[in-house]
Amino acid sequence: MDAVKTEFAEAAERHLDDVHAYLVYLTGDRATAEELTAETFARALERWHRFDPRRAGPRTWLCQLARSTALDHFRAEARRRRREGRYAATEPGDAQQVFGEGLSPELEAALARLSAAEREVVALRVVLELEGEAAARVLGISTTACSTRLSRALQKLEKEVSAGVAA
Amino acid sequence: MSPLELVGDSGRIAQELRASRPVASAALRERVAALGPAEPAAPRWTFRRPSGRLVLGLAAAALLASLVAAGLTREPSKPRAEGSHLTVNHDAARAGAQGSTYAPRSSVEKTPAPVSGRAILPATGTLRLQRYQATLRLRVDDVEKLSTATKRAMTLARSLGGYVGEVQYSTHAGKRGGARVVLRVPVGSVQAALTTLIGLGTILQQQTGILDVTRRADRESRQIAKLEKQLETATPQEAPAIRAHLRTLQAKHLRLLRSASLARIVLTLTTPARQAAAPSRFHRTFDDAGGVLLRELQFLLYALVVAGPLLLLGGAGVATARAARRRSDRRLLERA
Repeated sequence: MDAVKTEFAEAAERHLDDVHAYLVYLTGDRATAEELTAETFARALERWHRFDPRRAGPRTWLCQLARSTALDHFRAEARRRRREGRYAATEPGDAQQVFGEGLSPELEAALARLSAAEREVVALRVVLELEGEAAARVLGISTTACSTRLSRALQKLEKEVSAGVAA
Repeated sequence: MSPLELVGDSGRIAQELRASRPVASAALRERVAALGPAEPAAPRWTFRRPSGRLVLGLAAAALLASLVAAGLTREPSKPRAEGSHLTVNHDAARAGAQGSTYAPRSSVEKTPAPVSGRAILPATGTLRLQRYQATLRLRVDDVEKLSTATKRAMTLARSLGGYVGEVQYSTHAGKRGGARVVLRVPVGSVQAALTTLIGLGTILQQQTGILDVTRRADRESRQIAKLEKQLETATPQEAPAIRAHLRTLQAKHLRLLRSASLARIVLTLTTPARQAAAPSRFHRTFDDAGGVLLRELQFLLYALVVAGPLLLLGGAGVATARAARRRSDRRLLERA
């Protein structure tokens, strides 16, 4: 049992930033991302015995878990919004830098205008530099679909940056 | 980096995104680090795709189990059961077809062949007039014993006061052979004769039949008496015809009495046919294991035929549910 805990602690320490960055991109909100990161690692500890290193690396597995946690969060939020009959602001505030310290305001704004689906593929392939196959596994799609999604996301990002600069 | 440099250059955008990636706060690090000391949940049973090695091991275990099952369930080797079974007394039927007076059906006794090498001997009636017929088929070990058995059967008939009606004896290359001996022995000695005869070899088949002819004999006796009476009062013109009829009837009656006094025993002796080499225990076990595996495959095939459509429906349902879930996730993320 001690070995398991040590193994998990090492993996958590090594990949905490990756999971957190992915969730920041996915949610577009730092506070929510922090909550979901903690929730993801709590789930990871529970399910660590299921982790099979032959099927995927720990980073890929943790990102899959993080995505699942985030989706649960989004569903719960959608239900809550429906129940309460009001909608939260869809645009993150401009006051703070969500997607990273030192990011240009144009890029920050452009990222905020992307959908979560577009941001997550950027996060996985560009920020975390995951291989195409690993990223596709996290997203539950084929490698080709992943490449297409990334290409479209980057094009849109460029477009948004251009629009931001022009403005 | 100036925003203008980012326009139309994905590489630079990527570079900037990587350079300024979000970093977990110290508070989050502490929260996650605090998870470590907590006891991980006890592993629950979960399905994992079995490795190829495990599948091979299971297949080998199944094969071994089949072999063991075949070895355990196979009966110990023993000679084939002799072909003894209930047979119809064809001789009695033939006698009926030839016009003999048939006794009521209940009076024809049929005896099944013995099961374990012991002959079942019907008791012969002492007060009734009965035709007794028996057919015995015996197997002897070799040609030498065939000769000895044939001679003993012939001697037996004479010693019991009967005679040998027919003998056919043949051998093939001095290794295989057969004999057919028809014996006529007094009805009173038929049980003794059969008891001795079955000791000459292994019983393969036995037929015994008793046909009661008492009524027929009585009827013939009455007819003879009647004709004798007619002869006494007959005119010289009628006498020759009555006398001829009487003689025929007396001869017939005599034959009937004779046939009822001597039992007919047909003894057939054979040597075993050349047999193919018996398969070894190893081969038999493998044959049986093959049978078990074949049966397992049959069951599997039946199960697939029965459950196949259900499995297909279930699979289609799961695939549809997954696709719907993915679409839902995608919509959720696009709206988020």
